[in-house]
Amino acid sequence: MEQFSVVAFWFATVLYAAATVLYGYWFLSKRRTFSWYATFLTGAGFLCHTLSVYSRSVATEGTLLDGSNTLILLAWALVLIYFAMEHLIKIKVYGTVLVPVSLVLMTISQLLQAAGQGGVTASPLVENWKVGIHVALITFANAGYFIGAVASLAYLLQERQLKGHKTSVLFRRLPPLGSIDALARRAIAFAFPAYSAGLLLGVVRAVETDPPGWWADPRVVLAGLVWLVFGVYLFLRYRGGATARTTALIALGGSAIVLVLAVIARSVPAGFHIFGV
Amino acid sequence: MHLTLVGLSHKTAPIEIREKLTFPAHRQADALSLLCSSEWVAEAVILSTCNRTEIYAVTIGEDTGVDAVIDFMAEYHDLDRHELVRYLYITRGEAVVKHLFRVVSSLDSMVIGEAQILGQTKEAYEHSLESGTSGRAFNRLFRQSFEVGKRVRTETDIGENAVSISYAAVELARKVFDSLEGRTILVLGAGKMSELTAKHLMCNGVKAVLVANRTYERAVELAERFEGEAIRYDDLFARMAEVDIVISSTAAQHYVITRDAVAATLKSRGGRSLFLIDIAVPRDIEPTVNELGNVFLYDIDDLNGVVESNLDERMREARRAEVIIDEEIASFLDWLESLEVVPTIAAIRGKAEVIRSAELEKALKRLGGLSDKERQTVEALSCAIVSKMLHGPTARLKQAAGTKDGFTVVETARHLYGLEEAEARHGHGVFRNLLNLRAKELTDDKCKEMGDSVGC
Repeated sequence: MEQFSVVAFWFATVLYAAATVLYGYWFLSKRRTFSWYATFLTGAGFLCHTLSVYSRSVATEGTLLDGSNTLILLAWALVLIYFAMEHLIKIKVYGTVLVPVSLVLMTISQLLQAAGQGGVTASPLVENWKVGIHVALITFANAGYFIGAVASLAYLLQERQLKGHKTSVLFRRLPPLGSIDALARRAIAFAFPAYSAGLLLGVVRAVETDPPGWWADPRVVLAGLVWLVFGVYLFLRYRGGATARTTALIALGGSAIVLVLAVIARSVPAGFHIFGV
Repeated sequence: MHLTLVGLSHKTAPIEIREKLTFPAHRQADALSLLCSSEWVAEAVILSTCNRTEIYAVTIGEDTGVDAVIDFMAEYHDLDRHELVRYLYITRGEAVVKHLFRVVSSLDSMVIGEAQILGQTKEAYEHSLESGTSGRAFNRLFRQSFEVGKRVRTETDIGENAVSISYAAVELARKVFDSLEGRTILVLGAGKMSELTAKHLMCNGVKAVLVANRTYERAVELAERFEGEAIRYDDLFARMAEVDIVISSTAAQHYVITRDAVAATLKSRGGRSLFLIDIAVPRDIEPTVNELGNVFLYDIDDLNGVVESNLDERMREARRAEVIIDEEIASFLDWLESLEVVPTIAAIRGKAEVIRSAELEKALKRLGGLSDKERQTVEALSCAIVSKMLHGPTARLKQAAGTKDGFTVVETARHLYGLEEAEARHGHGVFRNLLNLRAKELTDDKCKEMGDSVGC
């Protein structure tokens, strides 16, 4: 089963790589046939990816959410959300960004494993179902935030083109402002409840185990800040009447904190909240 | 059989000449019958639009065919032949195929990428079909040309980008809002261009139109045309909060819409984008309005810039279209070549020789132990039989080649001797056959489609 998992993983990686090339070619040439093939290959890759995650989970009697596996799950979540978004908003251009990012995440996960970071044993702290769900929810939420950030960046770029009356390749290839804004809003609106639930489970588990000063742990504080930033984003978007440009900047800021949080969590072996290091 | 094209277009003739040489739809049947009554013209299609009049013909002689077509044009329109020739272009053979494929792909149009020419060419072909002046060659050529037109439009973005000011405004509005369904526009002033732009926006789903003008009665008049609502000029900024797109073209000599006024309306817009189109000269809208958040302002120069950039983009796509056309020309010429007499005779003789050799070898094996002389005699006998059997058909094929329906005879001969099947087996391969099958299906679908439109 483990061998099958590895084979399925490499098949998924190769298919994502092929899809990345086709998406890139489609973005430049705008030939629809390439986007169809790219989507097909992404779908096939996603199937292999799912089989790989499932078979590994069966082989190891539950997936250990260490650094490597979290990245694999994040890549899987990105592709899943991409398909959901493409179904809802019918814009294929996001595949040009999200599929290569998934490919990069999968490659990094293998580098981490090769560097010996994948075989970490679970600490007693995380030997609990709540922590597994906590990490899975946070991973999915991060995928949603990432999509929101990409859409926000696309919004700012397209807005710049329109304001500057430019008709560059970027202007022609990027989707309309309205749909980019809708995508960012929906992705973050989807991610935020998942993030909130993930944080709540983490807090419950921390209270149960009660490590000293857990509430002052830098990663916990940063996670709270991420929650606050995206909470403000949603409030301004739905109630505050802020411009799309303002909220796009907030989304980018929030995503930057998510990135910092992920890097700190994987590179600073300090505090109680260590995972995947 | 010679493919011939005689025509004139916006590139070679002024409107004064083009308008004299039109063939309106109701006169095409007569014109085609008259043209094909010439002994030199076997098939003909007349393409007549506001920008071109072209006669595509399958002629018997190369120069005599061209003369026959020019004579027809001059006589039909009662024009001086020598005067007419100054404006005409004449092309033959492969160049005709290329020209037609470029025309249907709108590469030869005044506005590259315009969509009407494909429909106009279909109509011209339908007239020819109804009049019975389109035969085997033109059925194939024109149906393939429609496929070329379709390929160019689907495989390139030649018709994608707006090349008029009003369409460019619509395109930009779609870049801001994505869908225009349910949007509200405000038309300020009563210029022709703003009216046209508003019409295009309405065609794209805009729900409501508000019209404001210094003279309220004029606003009411314009609002009635759009089934919209006229508003008092003083209420302009109060109502601006509810609109998504503003089109302004007043004759005012100063800014009508200022930055401060727009900034004040933004507070009550709830973060919605506002797209302003200023078509007036001098401008109606203060340029710094564009600096406000969620506000996008385009004046006439900006729109012209978009149009020019789109034209450049179409030129780039046109180069991709030329590649498609070259591929399709090769395919058509392959087919056309198969209708030539000399290769057909060679193919028939080649096939007969293959059969003769195989049968001779079998017979010699069965007979066994023949002397060289006996062997030579049997071989000579088989050669003589084949040669005499083919002499008649060969002579008649050569004779038919010079007649009006010569290539029909050639095609029949190819069918009777099974040459197409043999070529498909030996010359193409499975993939090519599959492609041909698909092409045939597409052509058949097209025929059905055409049948329907003729029926309508």
